Amino acid sequence: MDREWNDNQPIYRQLRDRVVAMILDGVLKEGDPLPSVRNVAAEYRVNPLTVLKGYQQLVDEQFVESKRGLGMFVKAGARSLLLQGERQKFLAEEWPRVHETIQRLGLNAEQLLDAAASRRSSPQAAQSKTETEER
Amino acid sequence: MKSLGFMLSVVLISLSTVALAQSDAQKSFDKLKILAGIWKGPLTTDPAQPDLPNLGWVSLRVTSKGNALVHEMKEPGTPDDPTKDDPITMLYLDGDRLLLTHYCDAGNRPRMVGKISPDGKTVEFDFLDVAGSTQYGHMHHAVFTVLDANHRTEDWTFMMEGDKPVHAHLDLQRTR
Repeated sequence: MDREWNDNQPIYRQLRDRVVAMILDGVLKEGDPLPSVRNVAAEYRVNPLTVLKGYQQLVDEQFVESKRGLGMFVKAGARSLLLQGERQKFLAEEWPRVHETIQRLGLNAEQLLDAAASRRSSPQAAQSKTETEER
Repeated sequence: MKSLGFMLSVVLISLSTVALAQSDAQKSFDKLKILAGIWKGPLTTDPAQPDLPNLGWVSLRVTSKGNALVHEMKEPGTPDDPTKDDPITMLYLDGDRLLLTHYCDAGNRPRMVGKISPDGKTVEFDFLDVAGSTQYGHMHHAVFTVLDANHRTEDWTFMMEGDKPVHAHLDLQRTR
């Protein structure tokens, strides 16, 4: 997890978002325990209550379950539930901006698919290709 | 003449009521000011967490010529870091009320009104109002209980989004 916090959201929300990213990236799998409150609090020097609030948020959202005496664990089905939510969020919040940029730059579907394909094969090559084209 | 006497009685009763209320608030505040110092002890929460750090830290400091009590939840000697979430709470008298303002990392400042228990051992703070957005929840309730000169407890209730409470309990022992 990143050690820096931004000013846009409370730390507990940022912690929540980081755990969500870890689940989506497969770093935390379904059934895995969340990093312990004690360790997160000590390592990132945040109040243990802040960590608990972040984790409780995930419990309320049904991504994580609390097992009495054991801690908190990623729930079965959490990743697909998260993907569904994050996809909706992307389409509603980010896609309109991306689409606007595509329109403004006059990019067509073929160019976008090519860029996506070369990015898949080699992200660095895609970057270098873009830079060459810019020159 | 009769009505003047009646008016005077009403005024006297009102004044004595105010004086009593003021003395209750003052009594609570004085009681809390005696707690100034550094305290540590185990932290437990509801919902329960099995792996909480064994020690919670609280410092209480009287400042502003005795007009305010500063409450901080961090280990002594920890350097100040504006990017961290060390919460600060100020306790002070406001007329006949003992108030608490909590400066929260959620970006808001809830105020609570304190009331001392009949046995004088507990000061309970009930939510009064909040400045700032409550989008990310807010601190809602606090209870300070004095067990003896060197032992006391604190209870804090934070309301998450959707008004779901998270409760923290600290069993504190004076270190200085």
